[in-house]
Amino acid sequence: MTEVLRAEGLSKRFGGLKAVDEVTLSLEEGSILGLIGPNGAGKSTCFSMLAGSTKPTAGRVFLGDREITGLPAFRAARAGVVRTHQIVRPFANLSIFENTLVAAVQCARRDRAGARGLAREVLEFTGLDKRRHEYPAGLTLAGRKRLEMARALACCPRVLLLDEVIAGVNPVEAQEMVGLIRRIRDQRQVSIIMTEHVMAAVMRLCERVVVLDAGRLIASGEPKEIVQNQEVIAAYLGKKHA
Amino acid sequence: MKVPPWIRPRAAMGLGIACAALALAPLLHADVYAHNLLTLTFLGIAAALAWNWLGGYLGQVSFGHAAMFGLGGFVAARAEISLGTPMVIAWCFGGAVAGLYGLLWGHPTLRLRGPYFSIATIGVGEATRLVCTYWDWLTGGSSGLSLPVTPHLKYTLYWYGLAIAALAMAASYALRRSSLGLSLLAIKSDVDAASDVGVSATRLQDLVLFLSGATMGLCGGFYASYFSYIEPGDMFGFDRSISWVLMGVIGGIGTIAGPALGAVIFVLLRQYLIASYPQLYLGLYGILLVLVILFEPLGLTGLLLRVFHKARPDLALEDA
Repeated sequence: MTEVLRAEGLSKRFGGLKAVDEVTLSLEEGSILGLIGPNGAGKSTCFSMLAGSTKPTAGRVFLGDREITGLPAFRAARAGVVRTHQIVRPFANLSIFENTLVAAVQCARRDRAGARGLAREVLEFTGLDKRRHEYPAGLTLAGRKRLEMARALACCPRVLLLDEVIAGVNPVEAQEMVGLIRRIRDQRQVSIIMTEHVMAAVMRLCERVVVLDAGRLIASGEPKEIVQNQEVIAAYLGKKHA
Repeated sequence: MKVPPWIRPRAAMGLGIACAALALAPLLHADVYAHNLLTLTFLGIAAALAWNWLGGYLGQVSFGHAAMFGLGGFVAARAEISLGTPMVIAWCFGGAVAGLYGLLWGHPTLRLRGPYFSIATIGVGEATRLVCTYWDWLTGGSSGLSLPVTPHLKYTLYWYGLAIAALAMAASYALRRSSLGLSLLAIKSDVDAASDVGVSATRLQDLVLFLSGATMGLCGGFYASYFSYIEPGDMFGFDRSISWVLMGVIGGIGTIAGPALGAVIFVLLRQYLIASYPQLYLGLYGILLVLVILFEPLGLTGLLLRVFHKARPDLALEDA
């Protein structure tokens, strides 16, 4: 297996607070990596740094052989690292089709006909094609999370960063979402890093999991090992229960 | 020539017919008052549309566009007076300088959004007015500049004005309906999310401000030629900047043609109000503005669309 994304010693300080502290992680081509940890552990900050929306204080990020540390977000996205947002951020003034079209034009750099084709194809893939003329306000939360993913896929990413796309949706929708994530990996050859609080989904999807606590990487390994790890249990439940 | 697929034949034809009718009108019916009023309306249309590219498409409301209008006007006038530059070339030169000036202050300030950007533009507008009032070499100080007048110039400028307004209209349409326009709307909606899907927000915002500022400067040059006398207090006046905001809001901010409609109403209404109620006219504008914002945020365009039961124009653009 080849490595597609690597972060070395990634750190972010906000004044005196170390939000992320020397995190090193590596994503294998075609795999799904889980990034978990209690609230405030630094998962979203990690994502922001990988996707370029936040500049790291220290550390480096590589996409394949290419260093992408500190690239502005739009360049990181065009290079192939695209994120979704935990709190969905659709373009409310654009139709669902146009939401994906923007990404297909600007990120995948397609010409007009190519971009329209790509946008339609991505909407079909995520099950939104029938509603493409509607506006995001008409979608349920699960629908908007799908749109968030469709928009990211229209960028033709090599690496997709999914920030809690399952949390908050009902159990049936969660099942569908798990299926969708798996299909993204299998059919579109996209490597994925996902943060998630729904552990059942993490257990089913991820080959490997890394655990953050208070900005530090405290464990990494297969999901089965991780749930047994004393330090991880302590981070989630407190020392008494470990 | 291949026609881009986003051009609607009906829109292009409508603009063509309107322009042809307006171009022929003075030949059929000579009326100096109407001639003058129409020329000023053309100027208002071009400027209001250019303002809307930034204020409407990008949602970055500028209260300082007179800075570019005035600078373009004075640069063009100075070029005509001191260098003997032909009129149209002088306008274009003024436009280019104004556009670059827009980039100079816009590149740092466009990072601000919403009210913060608007406040910055007020500062830019006022600072530019003060500096240019003191720059005698450019503006002639508070006594201003007088341009050479040739016979029939004012009469001929009608068609130049019509051409500028038509070009601004075509540019508004192109900016909005091309894929660039889609990106602008995405930036307006959420600049960070737009960057995350590959939209280069800084570059596109700079580009739009340059185009808007250059058009403003060109309008300033036209204005200078038309009145053959300009002075900084008038050219850079804050009320001038406000007038474009008003045209946009009355006509329909962010719509393709709304600001042009707003400009027509504004210019005609002002002419009437200044003549009939000189003390009240600003107050009446204020009331109009309040009513529009309260009841129809998309201005007259919104009203028309509601009457004809069409979808809102800041939405639906692309049909798959």
